[in-house]
Amino acid sequence: MFSLSELETDALIEIFNIGVGQAAASMSAIVNETVRMSVPSVSFINRTDAARLLDGKAPEAGAICGVSQHYEGAFSTEAILMFPEDKSLEIVRLMVGESVPLKELTEMEQEAMCEIGNIILNSCVGTLANIFQRELHGSLPEYHIGTSDEILIASGSRHDTVVLMLHIDFVLEKHQIHGYVAFVLDISALHDLKEQINLYIARAMGQA
Amino acid sequence: MMNPVNEAHRLHLLHSVLCAVNLGAIVLDNERRVVLWNSWMIKHSGLGHDKVIGADFFTVCPGLRGGRMEAAIQQALYNNFPSLLSQTLNKAPFVLHASPVTAARNERIQQAVEVTPIAVEGAPRHCLIQINDVSIAVGREKLLREQAMVLRSQTFADGLTGIANRRHFDVAMEKEHRRAKRGGTPLSLLMIDIDHFKAYNDHYGHQKGDQCLIQVAAALAGMLKRPCDLMARYGGEEFAMVLPETDVEQATVMAEAIRARAQELAIPHERNNGELPQITVSIGIATQKVDTAVEIETLIGAADRALYLAKRNGRNRIESMLPA
Repeated sequence: MFSLSELETDALIEIFNIGVGQAAASMSAIVNETVRMSVPSVSFINRTDAARLLDGKAPEAGAICGVSQHYEGAFSTEAILMFPEDKSLEIVRLMVGESVPLKELTEMEQEAMCEIGNIILNSCVGTLANIFQRELHGSLPEYHIGTSDEILIASGSRHDTVVLMLHIDFVLEKHQIHGYVAFVLDISALHDLKEQINLYIARAMGQA
Repeated sequence: MMNPVNEAHRLHLLHSVLCAVNLGAIVLDNERRVVLWNSWMIKHSGLGHDKVIGADFFTVCPGLRGGRMEAAIQQALYNNFPSLLSQTLNKAPFVLHASPVTAARNERIQQAVEVTPIAVEGAPRHCLIQINDVSIAVGREKLLREQAMVLRSQTFADGLTGIANRRHFDVAMEKEHRRAKRGGTPLSLLMIDIDHFKAYNDHYGHQKGDQCLIQVAAALAGMLKRPCDLMARYGGEEFAMVLPETDVEQATVMAEAIRARAQELAIPHERNNGELPQITVSIGIATQKVDTAVEIETLIGAADRALYLAKRNGRNRIESMLPA
């Protein structure tokens, strides 16, 4: 299995925290309230384990709500923001500031969820693109609902494909919500990533 | 390779299509100048080509400067990323009206906006802004939301009297009990029962009985002033009042006022068993003190026993019991 050293992992976490920090600022501006986001950890796991990790967190809630975007360029990746369905209801309704006595996201709320996903994914991938010092081209966000495996399969990946999982904490108005961003990457992109992280570390230490 | 005639034809066709589509399309160049503004935009914004083509986008739409729209344009032009602006999170950013009538009312078209980067041969990247009219969907969801709210309030309301039902009482009691424990505040519960109501029903008939319940419920519920107070129909002719942050003394004052209010209604009741020939109520009070939290069942049990005591001691009176 692909892995990073402790230093590389820390650097990657730092990079993503800058990204989600920008996303949080954009979202704060929309709702006029402080939204905080952080990435406490990242991990590389295969798709099957990724699905298990997500479903294991929400055994009773069942469905997972996902927003995906496809990015292409120097490397291609499917980026997917995922929350348990009940948490996605909580996020959207906190953001919108309205409580709707319905158990599913309405069409308009799904669209709002897509926008939230769009902001988070663009900022995360933007940061990735920055480390790679290359440009990527992205598709518009799509909304999915289903099991996490169904959502990950939608990316067309094989079950042993490596997934870079970011653990995301989202805090709004005393509510703390945990979610994930999965990057489905092919192996050459992973090695590129490792190389670029090391360049980033070297630059940060003033050695490049 | 296409011949020049076909090329011109194709361009003309594309132009016609762009004008015919039922959505707003704007193209900005890399300097954020408007290079395309379709017919839909002209129709709904009231701004013609002479006003917009070649102009800075934020001069044309000054209200969008510095907001999410500017960030989205930035993302498209400089990072090559598309953005979605949902109607729910961005209330009608563009000044667009369906008709002069709605324009006069200052009612904007509800919008879902997409901003996508466009690669242009021989020039720096442009971006396309698409605006969809989602007014119908927004209206439909507003209706859905309102109906869901009505449905929800119905499942929490008593069908006859319109005040809170037993289910609402259970939920409120649960919530207030937790809140009292966490906040270290007292919580009082009143059980209110109409005296000799069975005799009233037997003598006057069920229709009169129902009217009596409606009248008493409305009068007593009308005495609650704070939003956290709740009066519910607990069973047949029995009502319950949840009074958060209310100690024994305050609850006693409230109960006495309620007893007096019921009597004031002066609803005739000839069969009130030799007592005052009008409708009266008996009330049992139980208060959970700050330092001695009890279970909800214990509190309800104490209020029930206090009510029983009030009945036994002659009705049209209040009694209180310590929950234990």
